[in-house]
Amino acid sequence: MNNSLAPTYEKSIGGLWILWYSISNSYSVIDANFKFLIDSYLDVTSKAEFRALILDEDKNANYSEIENTISSYLSNCNIPTTHAEVDLTSFDSSHRNLSRYYSINGKVIQVNYDSELVLKTVHPSIAHCSISTYKSVDTTFDIYLKNDSLFLFKDESLITSAPKLEYHKIQGKFIMHILCTIHDKPESDWIGTFHGSTITDGNSSILIVGASGKGKSTLCALLTANGFNLLADDVSPMLSKNKNIYFNPGAISIKKGAFKILEPIINSFKDLPPINFNKSKGTLKYLPCAIPEKLHYACHAVILVNYRDKSDTIIEQVSVKKMLETLIPDSWLSPNPYHAKQFIDWLGRIKIYELTYSDIKEVANEISILFKSLNN
Amino acid sequence: MKQENNKDKITRKEAISKMGKYAALTAVGTFVILNPLKAQVSSLPADPGGNPFD
Repeated sequence: MNNSLAPTYEKSIGGLWILWYSISNSYSVIDANFKFLIDSYLDVTSKAEFRALILDEDKNANYSEIENTISSYLSNCNIPTTHAEVDLTSFDSSHRNLSRYYSINGKVIQVNYDSELVLKTVHPSIAHCSISTYKSVDTTFDIYLKNDSLFLFKDESLITSAPKLEYHKIQGKFIMHILCTIHDKPESDWIGTFHGSTITDGNSSILIVGASGKGKSTLCALLTANGFNLLADDVSPMLSKNKNIYFNPGAISIKKGAFKILEPIINSFKDLPPINFNKSKGTLKYLPCAIPEKLHYACHAVILVNYRDKSDTIIEQVSVKKMLETLIPDSWLSPNPYHAKQFIDWLGRIKIYELTYSDIKEVANEISILFKSLNN
Repeated sequence: MKQENNKDKITRKEAISKMGKYAALTAVGTFVILNPLKAQVSSLPADPGGNPFD
């Protein structure tokens, strides 16, 4: 039938199939039954032939429901991605009211802000990298508010703009370009930026994912107090060249609800300044962490985290479907077909777990055992 | 056009073995479609209604 609707890549993982459609950059997880139906639907030359094939399999099959489902599924997987309109706003240097300088991985980065409020969008997470003296600047960013939109420039070229209430888009692009600058890689070299935090034991890394409020950042902060290093918080970038996850210099952002958990465990936590940027997001603290020995590590496992008060520590393998349902909708994944294939191949190699915990000593021990098994 | 790749194609026999003896092979089956973000963003605010710039 219409073979142009077929997935670009497909891979069987743990009894399920992962399909990737290049036109929409969408991923689909399906069971073996659905895979059989799609393959059959795409193979036949007419609807009549498909009907005959289905009824030959099962004379009581609800043919029209099957045909409608497959047809609508394939349409939904083939909705072309839309490209944002090109913004031609030119750089305006008159907004350079506040300048801050940061030293990260040997690079000096200057960021100019137009106001204290705009500074609060990105500065608190990298405040620990601030410097007051420097020889020369490697990269300059400008972030300012104009006509209710925020603008982000890198070396006076526009990177992106967004309505001020969508400031998380400016934060995300800023982090992406900080990563490009400090690791000397263009944006096109990255497979994606996963929404999750990554820890390392010095040999490899584990990506920790979970919906907002499930305790990703809290777990990472606790693990840094128990012998592990933070590689990345919130945004974990994977490079195409070696499929490693790279160091993200941002401090761990901790919500108020977790302050009491961390205060007795991390000495400096009480002294960190509370940040009130968005009242609806509540008070945050940014916990800077020691830089890991290496700036990138292979990642052999993903953990879906779930903090539950007074729970026993439970770690069990879960399906790739359950993990991807959490990971993909909140991550940026490159639409480059080569990168998509690398991502799917990586999914086929990793272990996937769900972790429910409340006791930090127990969870640190479990993570340590897990690292040992992954590194062997 | 779909590239022919028989190695990746599931056979009826494989599907039946994966679905179990009594599963109806011609039931629709399950699927999920997941779309990644089109651009990098940081964590969304818990309540996107807040306006930090007012």
